[in-house]
Amino acid sequence: MVDIVPLSSFPSYIDLLPSIQTCNITNLPENYFLKYYLYHALTWPQLSFVAVVRPKNGYKSGGSGPGMAGDISGEYPKVVGYVLAKMEEEPADGLQHGHITSLSVMRTHRRLGIAERLMRMSQRAMAESHRANYVSLHVRMSNTAALRLYRDTLGFEVEKVESKYYADGEDAYAMRLDLQKQWLDWKAIEKRDRENDKANAKDDDENADEGDEVGELGKKEDGKEGEKLVKVKVGRGLGVGDLVERNESQQS
Amino acid sequence: MPQPLSSKDHALFRQVVRNFEQKQYKKGIKTADQVLRKNPNHGDTQAMKALIMSHLGQLEEAFVLAKEALRNDMKSHICWHVYGLLYRQEKNYEEAIKAYRFALRLEPESQPIQRDLALLQMQMRDFQGYIQSRSAMLQARPGFRQNWTALAIAHHLSGDLEEAEKVLTTYEDTLKTTPPVSDMEHSEACLYKNTIIAESGNLERALEHLEKVGYRCTDVLAVMEMKADYLLRLGRKSEAEEAYTALLDRNPENSVYYNGLIQAKGISEDDHKALKSLYDEWVEKNPRGDAARRIPLDFLEGEDFKQAVDAYLQRMLKKGVPSLFANIKILYTNPAKRDVVQDLVEGYVSGKSASQQNGSAESKDEFLASSYYFLAQHYNYHLSRDLTKAMDNVDKAIEMSPKAVEYQMTKARIWKHHGNTVKAAEEMEKARLLDEKDRYINSKAAKYQLRNNQNDKALDNMSKFTRNETTGGAMGDLHEMQCTWYLTEDGEAYLRQKKLALALKRFHGVYNIFDTWQEDQFDFHSFSLRKGMIRAYVDMVRWEDRLREHPFYTRMAVSAVKAYVLLHDEPDLAHGPTGLGANGEVQDEAERKKALKKAKKEQQRLEKIEADKREARKAAAANAKSSDGEVKKEDTDPLGNTLVQTKDPLNDAMKFLTPLLSLNPQKIEAQCLGFDVYVRRNKHLLALKCLSAAYAIDPSNPTLHLQLLQFRKNLDGLSEPLPAPIGDVVNAEFEKMLPKTQKLDEWNESFLAANKESIAHVHAALSGRHLLNPDSKAQCEADLLATLDSAKITIEEAAAAIDLLNKWGSEISAYVQKANKKWPESFVFQQN
Repeated sequence: MVDIVPLSSFPSYIDLLPSIQTCNITNLPENYFLKYYLYHALTWPQLSFVAVVRPKNGYKSGGSGPGMAGDISGEYPKVVGYVLAKMEEEPADGLQHGHITSLSVMRTHRRLGIAERLMRMSQRAMAESHRANYVSLHVRMSNTAALRLYRDTLGFEVEKVESKYYADGEDAYAMRLDLQKQWLDWKAIEKRDRENDKANAKDDDENADEGDEVGELGKKEDGKEGEKLVKVKVGRGLGVGDLVERNESQQS
Repeated sequence: MPQPLSSKDHALFRQVVRNFEQKQYKKGIKTADQVLRKNPNHGDTQAMKALIMSHLGQLEEAFVLAKEALRNDMKSHICWHVYGLLYRQEKNYEEAIKAYRFALRLEPESQPIQRDLALLQMQMRDFQGYIQSRSAMLQARPGFRQNWTALAIAHHLSGDLEEAEKVLTTYEDTLKTTPPVSDMEHSEACLYKNTIIAESGNLERALEHLEKVGYRCTDVLAVMEMKADYLLRLGRKSEAEEAYTALLDRNPENSVYYNGLIQAKGISEDDHKALKSLYDEWVEKNPRGDAARRIPLDFLEGEDFKQAVDAYLQRMLKKGVPSLFANIKILYTNPAKRDVVQDLVEGYVSGKSASQQNGSAESKDEFLASSYYFLAQHYNYHLSRDLTKAMDNVDKAIEMSPKAVEYQMTKARIWKHHGNTVKAAEEMEKARLLDEKDRYINSKAAKYQLRNNQNDKALDNMSKFTRNETTGGAMGDLHEMQCTWYLTEDGEAYLRQKKLALALKRFHGVYNIFDTWQEDQFDFHSFSLRKGMIRAYVDMVRWEDRLREHPFYTRMAVSAVKAYVLLHDEPDLAHGPTGLGANGEVQDEAERKKALKKAKKEQQRLEKIEADKREARKAAAANAKSSDGEVKKEDTDPLGNTLVQTKDPLNDAMKFLTPLLSLNPQKIEAQCLGFDVYVRRNKHLLALKCLSAAYAIDPSNPTLHLQLLQFRKNLDGLSEPLPAPIGDVVNAEFEKMLPKTQKLDEWNESFLAANKESIAHVHAALSGRHLLNPDSKAQCEADLLATLDSAKITIEEAAAAIDLLNKWGSEISAYVQKANKKWPESFVFQQN
């Protein structure tokens, strides 16, 4: 049977990446370097999920360590599906939103609802973790099975047609689904924060602490220097800029 | 002393630096040359020029210039920094670190040098050095949270959990108010601290801390998972139950959550009734899910099992779920369950199910076709194999639904199990033609062609989905896109054909991909700190340290070592397959020379074709306008001829073997392979170590059995005893596995008697007998032939027997004939 598990948050099954890459290149014409998968797993660890075949005797137990109920790391189960997702880094419309980079399920494991489950997990994480307004994706116009999943099952809408989106000249539907309904109530959280802060301040007054000044220093410089840091690049051959994807399908 | 630059030249020098930063490499070189024209010995400019050259793919020339720069200006931190950067590009990290250290001594305040040093220390896992660097960086800029986090990571990875936590807390204490929810760096740092507390083993405190910060972390699922895990481990059962229930509400398709829930509820493994009703609840909540329906089949027995599996099978057959059999076959380790499933599905096809009585004609047909498909897979599976029935069923399924790719795929698989790779590849190719736009079936077809040693045909299929204009065509693209499965299969196909050059070429290709994956982490040492997703980063660092534990590496490395051992044993193969029998000694010398000459000629012919292609490409590239940026290096040995013509194959094998032994010591195949290499290199102690490790895993392993005999004979046959300390250790340790007083032939025969039911063991014992007493050859041959009467023997085992006969220099025709009669559909025994 197939388990749907997170890729790189908690628990972290990042050692599944080579198998995910193999699943991708076995199924789809759009392929990526392992580094691009790493880039997703390490930038948005909450958003990607994997479908693995549970081994014959289940997973090992972490014993008294982490994963007492079952620990998949180091087990290398067969990967039969995955969703690789991200947040759009520079949204053209200025709206924070998620994007499905790649989704696939092995032909031998279709009709089990795996793709749907993977999508729902990722969508929810986008809304909760990143306050995504919506999630977008591209799909081949000829891919009726995928279209049915996105439109009929998950409720995506076609936003537009992107002509010759794929390397072989096929057009793509650009689709999206609103996610605001799944947002967390940040106001409630921040209210609780303020109450906690107040309680802590009271504590501090009672047993005065001398660490405060460092704190001021820390707060003030934070934003200002953050700007500078982005620009410093002397002598560092490679940076984020080099973490480019190689997507054969897109003309970029 | 360096000459100072005029103010105009100094401005130009600054422009060189800018050009480099903006990746305007060509411009940068021009500007540098302008400075150097007037100041030919200006070290800093030479260094910058060298750095730019290295980015244009001229690393060798860059090194020459950088050394000259250093000679001109030993006291320049720029020269040393660049020198380090060049070493870093060459991946010589030790030297790079040394150069950075020099640079830093000259310019202790330089942030870029300090940072470059730190990054390399991390890459090299020099945690003490990294702690030092990070402490210095924190001191220089305490206002950055990431500098605090980085120091905490340094302590954490070095194993000092307490200090790591302290650093994180020190920073937290400076925050007057809680940052906004949108500050993910903050909530990640909190969760990171929580994992450190949990790792320290103090789960009470970890849970308490999680309660305090968890409510505001937006990685909701992670917080839920952490909480459930802590609660279960703390034995706080009712809360754990709640936590796992919440997780299942989110995702009912994760068996780990059910395990957690069952443990929390304290339901015994044997209380099937309670377990079943728990799963039934979840079926009710998620009628479309699979897990809660499928898992009970694992533990239910008897009539309960029959009822449950009947319902499960009918539901899935009606839906036409292609993975149904894959999902069921695991149950077959219990023969009673296997038989129940078989009876049920046989019943369905003979019209004994409710599903067939109701419903439209169309849905009845689909149900029937799915059932035939299921039975085809069932009879094709090794625990319920009857290939005639399998073929019969698959043909019926195909007849009903001739366009079904899955059915056709199964037909190919049945031929594979018949031992007929030719038919298997043909049938899989038919499946591919049913859906040419689907890459999955394309991949399968290529794989079956490789199993049939059709390397060119397979590549041709693969090329329908690769970018073929890259350097090296489709094969180049498969390397670039890190398609390890294909390269490994391709290499193994060449190994079977004894084309060792190309086999080694592919295995090295995969090896290099793993190197790339290890190198890939480098950028994240800085990137992840900026992004603040620290937990995932730390997990990545730990994963990279066991990267080659992955089965993809293991499989490739095992094949690569086998190829090198074969090359060592049969050095003639360096010139390509000679077409002679397995063992050179049987042939006469003249025949051998003739075959070798022919092989060499063929090798030269292929080399020439490849060289011509290369020239043509070069000419084409020269015409095309070269652009600014990195130059792609041309592969100078596409056929692997340089690799195969090594002077020391066993030494080359070490780079594949070492990670295998260190990361997968529990794999007996790896240990036996280690022995094969070490014993040939006369490394007795290391060979013994492998034997001991293998012995601890499975003392009656057949390969090990033969190796123990070999090792005893090897020790007994030494012209002079091993030097004292080593000799004593080896003898004492080996005594435990095979005592010196033991009569070897008796020992071997008793192994045979004790394991006569297993073909592999019989093979090992017969090899042992032949090794101990070559005069027993005729008896060995007869005993080997008799194994074909066993009901258990597989085609693979019979093929291995033919290899044995070849090794003994025996006549194989009697064996082949008998095997051919036993497996008339097989291709294996038609070739011989």
